[in-house]
Amino acid sequence: MADAGEEEATSVSEPLDLVRLSLDEIVFVKLRGDRELKGRLHAYDSHCNVVLGDVEETIYTIEEDEEGEETVKTIKKQSEMLFVRGDSVVLISPQAPS
Amino acid sequence: MENHTNANTSAVPDGKDPSAFLSEIIGVPVTVKLHSGIIYKGSPVSSTKYSDLIDQTGELQSVDGYMNIALEKCQEYVNGQLRRTYGDAFVRGNNG
Amino acid sequence: MLFFSFFKTLTNHTITVELKNDISIRGTLKSVDQYLNIKLDDITVLDELRYPHLSSVKNIFIRGSVVRYVHLPAAEVDRGLLEDASRREAANQAGKAK
Repeated sequence: MADAGEEEATSVSEPLDLVRLSLDEIVFVKLRGDRELKGRLHAYDSHCNVVLGDVEETIYTIEEDEEGEETVKTIKKQSEMLFVRGDSVVLISPQAPS
Repeated sequence: MENHTNANTSAVPDGKDPSAFLSEIIGVPVTVKLHSGIIYKGSPVSSTKYSDLIDQTGELQSVDGYMNIALEKCQEYVNGQLRRTYGDAFVRGNNG
Repeated sequence: MLFFSFFKTLTNHTITVELKNDISIRGTLKSVDQYLNIKLDDITVLDELRYPHLSSVKNIFIRGSVVRYVHLPAAEVDRGLLEDASRREAANQAGKAK
């Protein structure tokens, strides 16, 4: 970013700006291993390490019954403050997805 | 990542280096495919200069050297099926 | 550097580290380095029936790269400070990835 000065505040000139503008907002984070998080973004760095507050984690697992029928099961977990290592992160979105 | 607009591909001359290609496609609808097979399409956005050229107006906001990507009106496809849409999405570059 | 500094402020507090192999370990954070490798004292493994391997282990070194989450004591986290630090780090890092 050449002109970091006045551009810094609101514009999206590099992808991580989208994450910066989401600080103190609710974000949706998609992780490897069929996991998703929703929580308030308190910190991030260039590796996509993040700290989220009041987080709900959703884990999707596939269960197979006796007939070999596969059903998707969801597990939800709550955490009041969570550090997430960036190498698990696939996607960060400022709004809840629809 | 492939650029799926025919409208603009002619604007990329042969022999351009990859980073020049990446800067050319900013503001253009793109399809991004991850190793997992998940596909993200940047998709309709209101006021871009391309919006009258193509009816599916996805838009790449920005790319950096890690191939981190910011998409507007992003659609997520899993196994060819639309799963979700995001108003904005940051997709992490290193997803090997 | 942001998260290195952040974790240093949490030394001697109790944290729970969830690894990418699903094992969760609770203990007192004794030290952390720039790779976010972590040393924990007085550890207990959650879901010990499923993961009995560490039942006689007191202190542990965890390689940063195997961490998925760290559950943090919310009361010890200054959210405003984290958000400001993230913006500052972003300004310092600006354009590095280009």
